[in-house]
Amino acid sequence: MNINEFINIFNDSELVDNKIVIKSKLYEAVEFVKNNYSYDILKEIIAIDNEDFGIELIYHLYTTVDEEDLFLSITVQNEIVSIVDLFPSAQADENEIYDLFGINFIGNKNLKRLYMPEDWEGFPLRKDYVQDETRLAWNDSDNV
Amino acid sequence: MTLTTFKLNLGPQHPSTHGVLRLLLELDGEKILSCEPDVGYLHRGMEKMAEKLSYIQYLPLVDRIDYLAGFFYSELLCRIVEKALNVELSDKVRVIRVILLELNRIASHLLWIGAFLMDLGATSPFFYAFREREMILNYFEKLTGQRMMYNYFVFGGVRKDIEFLEDIQNIISILPQKLNDYEKIITENPIFKRRCINKGVLEKNVALDYSITGVNLRASGVDFDLRKNDYLYKGFDFSSVVLEGKDAWSRYKARILEIKESIKIISQALDYLSKNEKLEQKLINPINLKLDNGEYYQEIEAPRGIASCYVKSVGEDKPYRLKWRTGSYYSVNLLRKLLVGEYLNDAIAIAGSLDIILPEVDK
Amino acid sequence: MNYLYFLYIEFLAKYNIPKLFGDITFYIIPFCIIAAALLVVVLILVLVERKLLGFFTQRKGPNRVGFWGILQTLADAFKLLCKENITPTKADRLLFNLAPILAFVPMFVAFGVLPYSAEFTFINTQTNVILYLIMAAFPILSIFLAGWASNNKYSLFGAMRSVAQLLSYELPITFVILSVVVLASSMNLTGITLAQFSGWGLFSWFFIPCFLGFVIMFISILAELNRCPFDLPEAESELICGYNTEYSGMRFAIFYLSEYAMMFANSIFITILFFGGYLSPFGKYFMSNSFLLYFEQAFWLFLKASVLIFIMIWIRATLPRLASFDLLKFSWVILLPLSILNLFIMVIIKFGGFLCS
Repeated sequence: MNINEFINIFNDSELVDNKIVIKSKLYEAVEFVKNNYSYDILKEIIAIDNEDFGIELIYHLYTTVDEEDLFLSITVQNEIVSIVDLFPSAQADENEIYDLFGINFIGNKNLKRLYMPEDWEGFPLRKDYVQDETRLAWNDSDNV
Repeated sequence: MTLTTFKLNLGPQHPSTHGVLRLLLELDGEKILSCEPDVGYLHRGMEKMAEKLSYIQYLPLVDRIDYLAGFFYSELLCRIVEKALNVELSDKVRVIRVILLELNRIASHLLWIGAFLMDLGATSPFFYAFREREMILNYFEKLTGQRMMYNYFVFGGVRKDIEFLEDIQNIISILPQKLNDYEKIITENPIFKRRCINKGVLEKNVALDYSITGVNLRASGVDFDLRKNDYLYKGFDFSSVVLEGKDAWSRYKARILEIKESIKIISQALDYLSKNEKLEQKLINPINLKLDNGEYYQEIEAPRGIASCYVKSVGEDKPYRLKWRTGSYYSVNLLRKLLVGEYLNDAIAIAGSLDIILPEVDK
Repeated sequence: MNYLYFLYIEFLAKYNIPKLFGDITFYIIPFCIIAAALLVVVLILVLVERKLLGFFTQRKGPNRVGFWGILQTLADAFKLLCKENITPTKADRLLFNLAPILAFVPMFVAFGVLPYSAEFTFINTQTNVILYLIMAAFPILSIFLAGWASNNKYSLFGAMRSVAQLLSYELPITFVILSVVVLASSMNLTGITLAQFSGWGLFSWFFIPCFLGFVIMFISILAELNRCPFDLPEAESELICGYNTEYSGMRFAIFYLSEYAMMFANSIFITILFFGGYLSPFGKYFMSNSFLLYFEQAFWLFLKASVLIFIMIWIRATLPRLASFDLLKFSWVILLPLSILNLFIMVIIKFGGFLCS
């Protein structure tokens, strides 16, 4: 794909290493590359907790036409727009990130705790998550 | 007339969910109106563990992400470290890894054939497939000391030189005959054909939208095989199996053909090894291994779709963040769409044909 | 039967036991014999099936308990006896307990109807073909009750499928039996057996004119027994165990028992209809003593029945399960018209005088 053209249209984006960092308009950006550069697979969404900088989401797209990868990176605090109607596979990733990072994907109605129990407090893959003994024994009270 | 539906909890303890998958089905009679997969019964916190362990401590654990194809995941972690430290593998190491990966792929596909036929109600092929898988596992046990969690690949090479090549020779000379037997008992069976042909049709664009990769995607007519551009497979002559059928039957057929391709790759690798080259490898000292600041990404063609590993390092001996992508996780998500409108009887076959394995889903 | 009756009365008279006692007990003894024989037959049958499935799939089969695993099923039965009977809380207790009994009781009548040798039929009526047919269909009622009373969705599915299956496959069976009745001009199983008797031995058995009927019958019986490839009601990979998912301990054992007993009874029934029942395949018997002759006749019957059982097990080891729609379609679209056609052909053969006897 023509990266310069993309950066011209989404003018707050820049190329860092080999990923494109965008500040906002994620949905529009994904829709744009899907329609114009035929990026047809969303391979995965990677979430990284960068502590003070917020949580970085990397959308890894791939085109089977030109056989190219594209990494779109966006940093969020607590919520972001869902792209599940562009790529239904995002349901899997968004649900996982919702569960482990506590990011709310606006527009995705099927979010629920996946690996953790329904009433679990905290999000395990965040860096500020404390794992103390009382948490490990969370279901002991049931066994009394 | 009012339509009365009811909910059925398929799993997590159910003979045909291949582990602990739970499907919440809404049924009208035996017809499925909606399907909501629920995973997480086997979650071991692989990604969280990575943040607490050094790379060499983490290496033995990664086999367990997919216990049917453990080599692929240790290969991924090794490749990440090698990439970060710019270590190039020698040809012999490459060939050894290719042999083991392909044998593991065959073993995984064989188990799938058995389990799939079991889902369809035929018991014998399960045992036949296991008999052949047993030869491969016995070889792995002889070589690595383990039948499932091998821990054989290390950063920069392999733990020891490959041995017992005559066993591999034996396996790849027996397998083609056995595959012909399968063709006789399974592929041409009219009941099997009726239950698979045009069942669970996975259109090309649906497969892409749902991020389905690997054999399932190739059976829907998309030629996408990471092995073609992988430097591990450089110099091997093979073709990736692409079928246009899109249904459960072509997913079955694609796996049989893929086993044949793997046999081809292994025999080429054996030809190379017969030159008796000495094993040269620059092993990376795992003690105090630190990766430079940065992000590393590696993907590989695993039996159940693309597996990938992302590592972010901040210069410590532990990864700052490590993320796995596994093929089955997206196949489970696909069930939401693929099972709707099917009958319970076919739904089991369709879910089985996608080759879902639960430890890989739950990580 | 009269001959046995006189033997029995004579035997009692030796010990000065009144004839009245003999009159009463004579009709009870057969059912005791059936009950004992049933258990033994099922124990052997289960072992044989497991062994054969083992051989078909390159395993050894059970080989730990007793020599060559002979006592394995006995040990399993003992284990089931000792197990706790669990009744689900929300189950319909009455029907839940009634279902295994209803599965088992008709078995006695079904076995009583069959002629094992020339004089050895416990219940000998003029129309015992029909009596057998009713008894063979009876377990379906218990399957339905079990599925309903368990209050389990999988059980209900199993029961539902089972009833649909029976309704579709009972019709072809009836038409095939009707064509055999036409050939034999008798509705009595002994009569049907004797109609196949001639000096030609196995060449005068009904499977030669009525081969189509035999194939239809065999397939339909497989379906009625819920055996592979028609095992949808208890499809393990879909419905866990179908109608008996919630059953445990002895209740489960009774279901298991009646299933195998029915398999044995039905293979004897097919043998009687198409393979000359207790007749020798050579047209003459080897034993001259009338008492030993009974044993020879029973031997031929069981030999022929076990060949059929072997084929059933063989099919189980080979074929995958049918899809539910194919199952019903197969019966209504293929088997039913063919069985009616078969009936017409048999009528033509019988009244056109093509039958050699």
